[in-house]
Amino acid sequence: MVRRFKLKEPHITEEPALMRMIICIALTLALARLAAAEPNEPSAQADLTQLPIEELMNIKVSTASKFPQKTMEAPSSVTIITAANIKTYGYRTLADIVRSVRGMSVTYDRNYDYLGTRGLGRTGDYNSRMLLLVDGYRLNDPIYDTAAIGTEFPVDVDLIDKVEIVRGPGSSIYGSNAVLGVINVITKHGKNFNGTEASGELASFGTDKERLSYGHQYENGAGLLLSASRYRSLGQDLYFPEFNAINNGIAHNLDSDRYRNFFGKLNVAGFTLTSGYSNRGKAVPTASFGTVFNDPNFLVSDGASFMNLDYYGEVGQRWDVSANLFQGRYFYDGIYPNTGAPVTLNHDQSRGAWWGTEAKLIGRLEKHRVVAGVEYQNNYRQDQSNFNVAPYALLLDDRRSSKREGVYAQDEITLGNGLLLNAGLRYDQYSIVGSATNPRLGLIWNIADVTAFKLLYGTAFRAPNVYELYYTSPGTQKANPDLRPEKITSYEFVIEHQPWQNFRITADAYDNTINDNINQITDPADNLLVFVNSGKVVARGVEVGAERLWDSGAQLRTNYAGQISRDVSSGVELINSPRHLAKLNASMPVLGNALRTGLELQYTSRRKTLAGAFAAGHLLTNLTLLSEKIAKGMELSASVYNLFDKRYADPGGPEHVQDLIWQDGRSCRLKLSYRF
Amino acid sequence: MNKFGKTILILLCVIFTAGRSISIHAAPPTEYEVKTAFINSITKYVEWPSAAAYAASTMRLCVIGHNSFGKALDTLRNKKVSGLVWEIVPVGSETNLKECRVLFIAVSESGNIRQILDGIEGSTVLTIGDTEGYAEQGVMVNFYLEDNMVRIEINIDAARRAGLNISSQLLKLARIVNQHGGVQ
Repeated sequence: MVRRFKLKEPHITEEPALMRMIICIALTLALARLAAAEPNEPSAQADLTQLPIEELMNIKVSTASKFPQKTMEAPSSVTIITAANIKTYGYRTLADIVRSVRGMSVTYDRNYDYLGTRGLGRTGDYNSRMLLLVDGYRLNDPIYDTAAIGTEFPVDVDLIDKVEIVRGPGSSIYGSNAVLGVINVITKHGKNFNGTEASGELASFGTDKERLSYGHQYENGAGLLLSASRYRSLGQDLYFPEFNAINNGIAHNLDSDRYRNFFGKLNVAGFTLTSGYSNRGKAVPTASFGTVFNDPNFLVSDGASFMNLDYYGEVGQRWDVSANLFQGRYFYDGIYPNTGAPVTLNHDQSRGAWWGTEAKLIGRLEKHRVVAGVEYQNNYRQDQSNFNVAPYALLLDDRRSSKREGVYAQDEITLGNGLLLNAGLRYDQYSIVGSATNPRLGLIWNIADVTAFKLLYGTAFRAPNVYELYYTSPGTQKANPDLRPEKITSYEFVIEHQPWQNFRITADAYDNTINDNINQITDPADNLLVFVNSGKVVARGVEVGAERLWDSGAQLRTNYAGQISRDVSSGVELINSPRHLAKLNASMPVLGNALRTGLELQYTSRRKTLAGAFAAGHLLTNLTLLSEKIAKGMELSASVYNLFDKRYADPGGPEHVQDLIWQDGRSCRLKLSYRF
Repeated sequence: MNKFGKTILILLCVIFTAGRSISIHAAPPTEYEVKTAFINSITKYVEWPSAAAYAASTMRLCVIGHNSFGKALDTLRNKKVSGLVWEIVPVGSETNLKECRVLFIAVSESGNIRQILDGIEGSTVLTIGDTEGYAEQGVMVNFYLEDNMVRIEINIDAARRAGLNISSQLLKLARIVNQHGGVQ
């Protein structure tokens, strides 16, 4: 029930200033009253049961605060970040989202974002130990196993309905990569938009972003979502003291970042067709991989496209069937200005293409909840090449293809008295690297949905990828075809306590052991980078978290993670592994409900670097102000990241001369969205 | 007056009026107060088969799972709808669900929804919920929120199977969901 009224166009010619001001004030008053008048609000005392149903439909309700999803019976420690969180805290990328999560950290080297999970933040790794799913589709590519969480993540964060971060090994269901956990991104439906939405952003460092989305739900229940985004950032002129001899250490105009992406989703009856495309180009200012400093040619592009057809249906009363068929492509091109006289431009390239299918049966029997499935993936293209542009010289032309098959089953058995036993097993067969069998066992004692104790055991694996196995670059990196899968064995104990719908606390303790850890090292014999299975790593830690929601709309989420990870044979603590992480997210409405503030504090303790020094501990503060209704359909937010301009650095990987990569100081973003 | 002065004045004006417009708002009713009123109204549009035999001559509303209504359901106490007095029954292990006229299935039961619906198969219980996906799974009336206003979706097939007739007046106000139309 929207009231519309027309304003007469004021005569602007020769109008006295006072008159204009009066019009302004009158307009403001009119707007304010309009806002106040809409919609009809019977007072709380009125007997609602006397109202006709048509009027009930027009009442704006105050919603009681409750957590969006129950995690008590999940056989893991799970964190869920919702679309509302993304807006409230001004998250720009998936990296921003996971950075706010208990026990996780993100490292940025001005090329990619790297995920640290529970004390394991291996440098030179493209997040291969985390499985990244978008609506059930596996995003990790079959060349580097990349879980893209930065600007190269193919889905605009505005399209995310929620992100489930599931800690612990997930290979018993998902197979490879689910070593440290699974990030499950669930996108919005057409009905969430119900119209067209245009969104524009302006941010520091010459950044702008535009998005246009259309969503609709048809009468027959079918839904459509189409969205396209474009992002451009000029970046900064960055100073690297290590390269003082060249251009006074300033990398000029070499921090730009741009992407375009597209996402579409169509659901009809039990079928959902999802498709995505992204293409990102990042200039690299760090002169990594032995390149020339301040060379304007250093550019890295990553792209991905996918199509996933999913079916979900019922088979009889107690069984559901889910099946999908997917096709994915990945491409990467890097232009590296290699040092030497003269400078040679080197083109590094990879192309991945694959298709696959999965089918699973979900059964809800009296005392059993069963999931059983099979998965097949055919990586028909896993090509890596490398050549000098001029004079042309082909340095690497490695063409591969491979297959993997997996079969799994899981049963959740109700033992009575709130006791659940979750048992799962998966067998994977890889055409290149052999097979793996991974079990998972969870004993969950759920006491009246108020307190849950979870005792969890599981193993997971990650097969070495073709990059780790076969990539070579003369003078920089060599292959190691003898790599074996790395394997994690994990024990975890979780306590969740939720005495009220709007308050919960979580505590967990874990012990993770990685065997045959695949690590990139510099071989002292020839000074070349190489991936090796380097022994055994043990990571142990405890985490505590608390969340509280208030009916006023205020919310608080805070957590602490203490962790220590060591290489077992040497006893040496791992690099880029903070011992302490602490986070706080607080949000509350101000000025009635006109504005919402989102305050975020993130503390990371010092981290060891490759050179044996330390990246100092730091506390970052981000602040967002959000107005969800400045006018009908219009939403405005303003964010300041690193509010106090804290100077901090992340440890650099072995491809860098820099031991520390300095990060952004204070920056801001203004975002306006309009739905019509 | 200079430009700066004007800007300040307009800003003050905006803040003042915005503040006023907020302060004159009465506290809006809570989600579950409105849902209670909806449940009351919806029953007026539902025809139960006359043959249906109910143990009690009341409009028995059973609530299964974690009760989110709080005190909101108290507003139905001693009220009549279609000539029957409301009777609110929290479901315990003893409750025979088939004797309820209306069964509200809370979000906490989303894992057991199949068992609950199977358990009342063949009866004429009007099932209501407020959880995404319930309608697709066979709950007859399901609430959802749109822009903080309560909306309903209706699974007509489920109602028909139970022999309940839902008036077209109500259907017009609802989003119609097919049994297999839902995508999980």
